[in-house]
This record gives sequence, structure tokens and C-alpha cells, in this order.
Amino acid sequence: MTTPLLKIEDLEVSYGKVPAVNGVSLEIFPGDLRVVLGANGAGKSTIIKAIMGLQKPRGGSIRFDGDTDLLRLKPHKIHALGIAWVPEARQLWNTLTVIDNLRLGGWCVPDAAVVERRIQEMFERFPRLGERRDQVSGLLSGGEQQMVAIARALISAPRLILMDEPSLGLAPLVVRDVFTLTREINAMGIAVLMVEQNARQALKVANWAYLLEVGHIVESGPAAEIAGKESVREVFLGGSA
Amino acid sequence: MELFLQQIANGLVIGSTYAVVALGFALAFTVLRVINFAHPDIFMVGMFAGLVAGVQFPEGGLLLAIVVGAVVAGVVGFLIERAVIRPLRGRDVLSTLIGTLGVAIMLQNGMAIIAGPDPVAYPLLLPRKMIDIGPVALTFKQIVNFGICVLLLAFVSFYVRGTRIGRATRAIAERPDVAAAFGINVGLICTVTIVIASMMGGVAAVSVGTLYGSAWAFVGLLYGLKAFTCMLVAGNRYFEGVMVVGLAIGVIEALVTGYISSSLKDAVAFFVLIGVLYFRPNGLFGSYST
Repeated sequence: MTTPLLKIEDLEVSYGKVPAVNGVSLEIFPGDLRVVLGANGAGKSTIIKAIMGLQKPRGGSIRFDGDTDLLRLKPHKIHALGIAWVPEARQLWNTLTVIDNLRLGGWCVPDAAVVERRIQEMFERFPRLGERRDQVSGLLSGGEQQMVAIARALISAPRLILMDEPSLGLAPLVVRDVFTLTREINAMGIAVLMVEQNARQALKVANWAYLLEVGHIVESGPAAEIAGKESVREVFLGGSA
Repeated sequence: MELFLQQIANGLVIGSTYAVVALGFALAFTVLRVINFAHPDIFMVGMFAGLVAGVQFPEGGLLLAIVVGAVVAGVVGFLIERAVIRPLRGRDVLSTLIGTLGVAIMLQNGMAIIAGPDPVAYPLLLPRKMIDIGPVALTFKQIVNFGICVLLLAFVSFYVRGTRIGRATRAIAERPDVAAAFGINVGLICTVTIVIASMMGGVAAVSVGTLYGSAWAFVGLLYGLKAFTCMLVAGNRYFEGVMVVGLAIGVIEALVTGYISSSLKDAVAFFVLIGVLYFRPNGLFGSYST
């Protein structure tokens, strides 16, 4: 049995007195692509923020790579461990150019030449971004912005990527690209933890799925199994058709 | 026409000093989300530090006075950031505003106890002479002051656009959470930002003291209000916008002095503020939401 890359146990987070996450436990192993499915307000983004150190939990534990306690670390230290974030609604630095967004993605990489090389690789992979490298990122289309957000997370060559609703607000064709890309990233050996509402697409690419309802995990299992469950089909997949 | 050009030149000289102080405000506000009301009084302390250096070591000239003014202002800024701003950050904006306002009052009155409540003569660090540039006549002091301020503005522009740490500074200004999550040490950059803003203020202060020939414990009051106004008029999204507004307010003031009355001069900035905010509440060039 390998040790999990990330292990969350009994996580409890609340905003003021309002509980958002209530005793969530989940884990992710190297090479995994796991998805947490849930509706708006189920607590998906809160879990991601707690992992990144941006939201202090009230209880529980989050451990990385066996014994590193993330709850004791500041966000910038957490990133340096090899965890990168693709935030909800992209959250690019809109007043900065595409290339500057990517350079900041490599802030923790000590060798500037390595960062520039990886940026070039991203421009080869996403030629559109190469064409727009000197444009202010706020002027890009939603799909292009999502590419920048993903590329920005890849520059640091992370071991784990956290993706917060990568399909949100994108055109259907672009959504498909994003999920395909997620699978490719995973195939590169990077573990992915994704939170999503788009269950149909997410279950196609993930190998393991959790169902989150008002702060609780109500189901978990291999993605194919979860996709077959009647309750899931009703809630997330629009009936049993 | 000659009066017009002359007043524009005078206005650019004084406007450049507003721009430098306003940039100090804007850096602190955009990066730390803190209105540092002590900033104009850090400027004042730098002015007196340069005065002391100029009196004690006249052979060091303007350069030594500027270095001393910058270092002392930088140290004061650093201490304020550590002792007052850092512990209060993350609470509501009012906490830091009141905290820094308290520091401002302490600095003003502390200096009034040391140096007296009246303006103190500044050492003569530059020769008195007039220089004609086409139809415009400026003193050597004015030209040096303008040169120093333009250099400072160019430095900030290069710093935030062309350097790695400047890029991180802008990233924090726009999205502090995301910046932290990409490994940027937000606390460290906040300190660096305050120190840079303070040192710039110190340099400009010595230059302004030399220009007017005096230093005053309460010089920060009017400078601070005008600089703060410049930031509000420009909005805090683009540092270059703050520079442009600083220069513009200086020019408008000079034109009002030349054509209407010098007693209206100090009101101009506030008329501009009211006029601009009525039509563009986020400032001319836009602001980040807080």
C-alpha cells in the first residue's frame, strides 16, 4: 500500500458560525485523478482553499506526502511543496500579461532558465497563448483564460494540481478540451484533485469520485461505479436516461 | 503665452513632488490595502534627516542629505510597518487607518517638540541661479527637484513592470490570495513595498526642503492631503495614472495661481477630486475593489 499524496481527515471549516465543510475525509494517491462532485454551496471550493492554506479549518487534519501537516504552513510554503492551484473562475492577474502570469506561476522555481523553458513548452502546447503572450490576460476569452490558468499551475512542475470547477462558465466545446487536457496532465504523472459540478464529463476522466452534499461526503468509489449509481444519475446526470 | 508656459513649468516641478508622495500612498494602498496616513510624516522625518545631514556635513552636499533622508525615512517606514500596520492588517480598513493616523500625529508633534512648531531654514545645498529654457525661466533648484522626482517615477515604473519582485508586487495588489498560493511571500513583499515607498518619500522630501528652503514639522498635512487626493482621482489600478494626476494637479494649481489667485491654489486639488469622483467614482483609471 503506497502512502497517499494528500490525506484529509475529518475536515471541518466554517465561515463565522455557518458550517461549510463538516467532517470530510478524502485521500489522493500519486497518479490519481479524483473528483469531488457537489452542487453550489456543497463546500467544494472550501476544501480546496483549506488545502491551499487560504481558509483556516476549525478541525481535522490535512497531510501531504505522509507527514507534512499543511495546517501549520502558510500558503506560500504549501505551494513550494509541489501543490498548484487552478482557481475557480480562473482568477488570473488580469492586469498582467499572459507571459507575466506564467512567470509568476514559476515564482518558486529557483532557476529562471527553467521557467522560461517551461513557458516555451506551454506556448508550443497552447499556440494561442504564444500568440497572445504580451496581451493583458483580462482581455482573453474565457477558454483562453482557462488555458493560462492551467499553464500557470503547470510551470512549477507540481506533484498535485487542485482544480476548482475548471468547466465553470466555458462554452461546451471548450469544456471538453479542458477535461481532455486534465486527463493529459494526469497522464504526465501529476495527481489531480478536481472539484466539479459537471458530473457527466468529470466522471469520464476521473478514476475515483466523491459525492459531497452540504459539507458531507455521501458516496465515494471508483468513478465508473459512482456513475452507475441510481442516486447519482438522478441528482447529477439528469435522470436515468 | 509666456506666463502660460512659465506656469506649466512651475506646475510640473511641484506636481512631480505630489506624484512621488502620491505614489507612496498608492503603493501601500494597492499592495497592503492599507491607507498609510503616516506616509506624509515619514516624508517629513526624511526632510529633517536631510536637513541635519546638510547642516552637520555641508561638504557632503545634496547627495549626502538625500541618502540620509532616504535611509532614515526607510527605517521609520520599516518600523511603522512592523509595529503598527502588520499587527492590524486583515482587520477592517479603519483599524490601520486610525493606527497610522495615530503614528502621524505622534511624528508631527514629536518633531514639533524637537525642532519647534515653526518652519526651520534648510541648508543651502544647491547654488542659487536661474536657468533659461526657451521662454521659461527656472531656478537651478527647481530643475534639480524635477529631475530627481522624474527619476523616482521612472524607477517605480521600472520596478513594478520590469523586475521579478515588482511583478509579484502587482500580483499581490490584484489578487493577494492567488499570489500567496503561488508561493509569493506576501508579508515580505509588503515590508519591501513600504520601505521603498518611504525611501522615495525621503528622497523627495530632501529635494522639496531644498527647493523651498525650509522644513516644517507639519509639512506632511497639506502634502499628505494633496497626495491622497491624487491617488483617489487617479484610482489605484495603474501607478502611472497616479503619476500623471500628480503632475496634472501641480500644473492646474500653477495655472490657477498665475491666472486667478494664489489663495485658491490649495483648493484646486479638492475641486478636481469632487469633479472626478462625481463622474468616475473609481477614479480616472479605475481601482481594485477592496
